[in-house]
Order: sequence, then structure tokens, then C-alpha cells
Amino acid sequence: MTEKITPKREKLLANIRIQRFTPTFDRSPYFDNFKVDVETGMTVLEVLRQIKNTQDSSLTFRAFCRSAICGSCTVRVNGNSVLACSTQLMPIIKDFGKGTVTIKPMANLPVIRDLVVDIDPIIEKLAKMHPYLMENRQRIPETLEQESLMSQEELEAFNSLTDCILCGACFSACSSVKADKNYAGPLTIAKAYRFSIDPRDNFRCVRIQASMDQGLWSCVQCRKCIKVCPKDIRPADAIRNMRRIAIDDGIHDTAGSRRAKAYTDDVEKFGQVNKPMLPVIVNGTKGWTAIEAAEAYLESKGIEPTRQVCTLPGQDSAAKIYAEVRKIETQDKEKKDCD
Amino acid sequence: MIEQQYDDGKLHYAFYSGCCFQGTDARFFDILNQVFDKVDVKLHLIPDAICCGAGVIEERSELTSLAINARNMVGAEKMGLPFYTPCSTCFNVISNVQKRLAEDTKLFDQVNEILAKDGVEYKGNGKLTHTLWMLAQDVGLEKLGQRVTNPLNGLRVASYYGCHTRNPGDIQNYESSDNPTSLEDILKVLGVQIIDYDSSDNCCGYHINWPNKDLSLKMTSSVLQGAQKQKVDLMVTSCPLCFKNLDGVQENALAATKQDFQLPVLFLPELVGLACGMSAEDMKLDYHSVPVQVRL
Repeated sequence: MTEKITPKREKLLANIRIQRFTPTFDRSPYFDNFKVDVETGMTVLEVLRQIKNTQDSSLTFRAFCRSAICGSCTVRVNGNSVLACSTQLMPIIKDFGKGTVTIKPMANLPVIRDLVVDIDPIIEKLAKMHPYLMENRQRIPETLEQESLMSQEELEAFNSLTDCILCGACFSACSSVKADKNYAGPLTIAKAYRFSIDPRDNFRCVRIQASMDQGLWSCVQCRKCIKVCPKDIRPADAIRNMRRIAIDDGIHDTAGSRRAKAYTDDVEKFGQVNKPMLPVIVNGTKGWTAIEAAEAYLESKGIEPTRQVCTLPGQDSAAKIYAEVRKIETQDKEKKDCD
Repeated sequence: MIEQQYDDGKLHYAFYSGCCFQGTDARFFDILNQVFDKVDVKLHLIPDAICCGAGVIEERSELTSLAINARNMVGAEKMGLPFYTPCSTCFNVISNVQKRLAEDTKLFDQVNEILAKDGVEYKGNGKLTHTLWMLAQDVGLEKLGQRVTNPLNGLRVASYYGCHTRNPGDIQNYESSDNPTSLEDILKVLGVQIIDYDSSDNCCGYHINWPNKDLSLKMTSSVLQGAQKQKVDLMVTSCPLCFKNLDGVQENALAATKQDFQLPVLFLPELVGLACGMSAEDMKLDYHSVPVQVRL
């Protein structure tokens, strides 16, 4: 029995290639190579500590709890943002099939030294989201002895998001932050959403504005943040949800809201998105220019352009499904309003 | 799940086309059929498909997205065939729905109550696949290699997966999502030389084309620039949406970022077709925005 559950102990000599950089001293980042005997179960953090203790005491990295809860040890290992303390090295070596593993600091943030980055840009963006409860007076109990209780269902709507440890792995992996340094990043919008749907809170509209100011519709839904999140909070889903409550609360006049409305309504009507007309639906009359350009292009290739939506045969099923979902969602809303 | 009910030695799939293989893009459907015929794959169009919503419908109603995509999988279940889509975004959305419904029995029951109004039941036991794994694993590299009559030796190619077959890792269990190799494995069989480039993991920006055009163009350009720096002959992508963006929007993206070059981009099945002896005319390469003027 023991043999079955105990992993086979293995050991191999790996080359750990670490990015080094002291901005006040070095002209540009460079790599140092360290030979380390990596054993089954060894974490990235243990390897970094071993190198610091036995090979190069100047190697600089951040770490504290060793329990995946303080969120301070995020680095990139072979390009993927991970917590050094909860990521074992052996499976990575095997997955990539190479004896060399490259460790770099988090991306999208300025390097202070070696693997240590300045997380102030994240904190500044987060601060703008009002990441705290602003009291909803209707939920304040009448006496001091009572607590502001919520139902299990209310808690479940945001419970997993409270697991965020602000490690920044999602920020490091984010495609949109990489292309636009002003974009809020996954964790800050996820945090804004977490507080916005807390029934004890009354600051949702302000957070919707703050999210929009920091690019709520700039998230490209590449889903990398979901992949790297060590706490499985699914930030990209939280961003979709934040967009949903923004639209529900009346934010209809953005290209992103119009796109969401167009996709949802079109699939009900046609079983398909009305692609030929999407430029005008989303961007108003200036979309005609895009439509005309697309049509000219198709004609140049000998394809007859059309402004007719291409329906899909499942449109009858779509209509039935939409009708039923609408009924359920209306009932849920009425139940919520009664509560 | 009956994977093979045909006795013709071919692999059969229920084909979910998504929006990239119909209307003015219908040529891609013909190309897929021609190419897959070469490797003994037969596609059967799911007759009652609904647009997957590309994840955008979830910005209005998650339950709608779950129900319509469970309905899409029912199409393949009814045919008794594995569900195949060549679109990475359709794969991502539908695979995520399959996973959500497998993990949450309450939601599974609720979705089935909704589908009952359409007279169908979602069982959730079907196999989902994409061109990458259909070719690399179901057809197999050996068989694919046997069908290559025009090896594209010496062609310098940048391979590009795009995001939606890689992220998050749990939408597929065919290969490592941190270090996928299926695309490169297929390309090697076609004879090309695969060139590493540093923007291969960047997102092409297709899905913010509408809400934030400027940012989308910047992202498209960054992918192309990384490959161009390595002096590749062309880029090949397994995602039709990435293809539409990297080819169709290339001129605008490079102009917006003050770049002056052209990089031909091919959709993976096109290159497979060429290697299997089909002509540039068969693959309708003259429909590309960026001319494909390399030796093929």
C-alpha cells in the first residue's frame, strides 16, 4: 500500500538559469546558471534557497510563508507565473524534457533586483477599486449584539474570490496589461467584483465606474489568468461578471456593452451573431465605413458580399432555451427581491 | 459513447462549424473537407447547431451560455460521434461548459430541465476535440506522414497556437498546456523548419477587436513582429480566429504600430493540404489578405 502512494524518489542534476538584474548597477538583465541536484518534491523556493545558501548569497528573491498564503514569492518558471513555494520543480523538468529551467521575475512590473519586483503598480490600481466594504445601511442590524448575516447562497456568489492572496501571478500573465500598462489587470477587477456583489456593500456603482476607468472592456479573455491563479479564483470569469453587473446597472453605451447585447440578442433571433452588421451595431453609424471596406475586400476576392445574417439551423432550439432561461432568471430575481 | 459506427476505415466526427466556416468564410469548410479526406477523416455537420456565443453571452447570462452549449454537445451525442470543432474559441467555451456541468450536478440538472423544453437530454459523456489533437493523436503523426507527398522542407515557419486551446490548462487533457507540442509535431511531419520566436505566447487580440480596437491592433502587431524578427517565411496557426486577425487585420495592425513588412499567415489545415499534394488554388490561398508568395 505504502509503495503505491509514496512517489518514487528521484534525483537529477538540473541547470537552473536565473535572470539577474540590479537596475542601478547593470545595464540590462542577464542570466546566471546554477547546477542543483533536484529531488522529487523539491519546490522552486527550496531550490532558490539552496542556491542562495550554498552558491551565491547575492541572489535576491522574495518569500515568506512557504504555505501559498502570503503571495510574495511569485516568479516565472519557463514562462509560467507560479508561486515558488507551492510549485515543485521535478514535474516541470519532466514536462519540458530539458535539464535547464529558466526562472525570471514576474512580468509587467518593474524589477527592483533579480527576482524581486515592485508591486506598487498593482496596489495603486487596486486602491482605485475601493477594495473594502462600504456599508449598506439596509443590512446593518438594529442592535450591536446582532451580526450582519448573509445567506449561504449570497456568500457562494463571491466566496471563492475571497481566496485571492494578491500574489500577482495573473497580473504577470495578463495579455492586456502587457499591451497596455494602464489596464487594471485581472486581480483588481476580480476584487472590485467581489465587493460589488457582497450584500453588505453599497458602493457597487462607484466600483463599476472605477473598473471602466481602468479598462473593464480591455480584457481580451485569453484565460491565462485562470490558468496561473494558484487559488483558482478564475479572474477572467470575475471580469465577465463585472461586465454583466455593469450592463445590468445601466451601462449600455459602450462598445463592449453593445457587443454583449448584440451577441446575446442575435443568437436568440438567428441562432448566430449578425456578423455582417456588427460594425454598425457596436460602433454606430461610423461602422458603415468598416462594412463598406469589408464588402470592397470581399468583392476584390470575387466573393459576393452580403448584409444578410447567416442563420444557424439551431435557431428554433435557441429560442426555446432563451425563453426558459428568461423564465428562470425572472423567478430568481423576484425571489431575491422578496428576500 | 460510440466513436465508430461506420465501417469504412475512416475516422468520423460530428462537426461543429462555429462562425468561421460559413457565410463569406464558407471556403474554409470546403478546405477542411478536402484536407481531411486526404487523411481519412469524415466530418458530419451537426444539424441543429447554435452559435457558442464566444464567451460574450456570459457577459449577459451565464445560464444561457451553459444551456446553448450543452445543446450543441447534444447534437454530437445524438449522432454518436466525437464532437469536433476547428475553432479554438468554440472549443474553449464548449469544453468549459462540459467541465462546469460535470462538476456541478445541480447545474447539470437545471440545464437538462431547460433542454427538456427543446425535447432533448444532455448526457455529458462525449469526447471533444480540436484539429490539433485530431491530427496529432486520432489520425496520428505516422499516418499523416504517409500522406505527405509534397514535404515543405526548408520552409521557416513560426507556429502559433493562440490562447484558447492552451488556457486554462484544464479545458483539455490531450497534452501539457504549459508546454504544448501538438502543433509543432504536426508541422515537423510536414517537413517544415520550426523557428522559435519570443511572441509565440502573446495573445493576438482578436477578442477585443470591438471594444478596444487600438489595443487589439497593438497585440496583433506584437505577435507578428516577434516572428518577423526571426526572419520566418510564414506563420501557421491552429486557430481560425487568430488566422482571420493575423492575416486580415495585419495591414492595419502594422500601420498602426509603424511597421513596414508583410508576413504570410496560414491556417493549419491549409498547410497540411499543401504538404499532402494539394495546390495553392485548392487551398484558395489567393483569398488571403497578405499574399502567400513563398515557395511551397
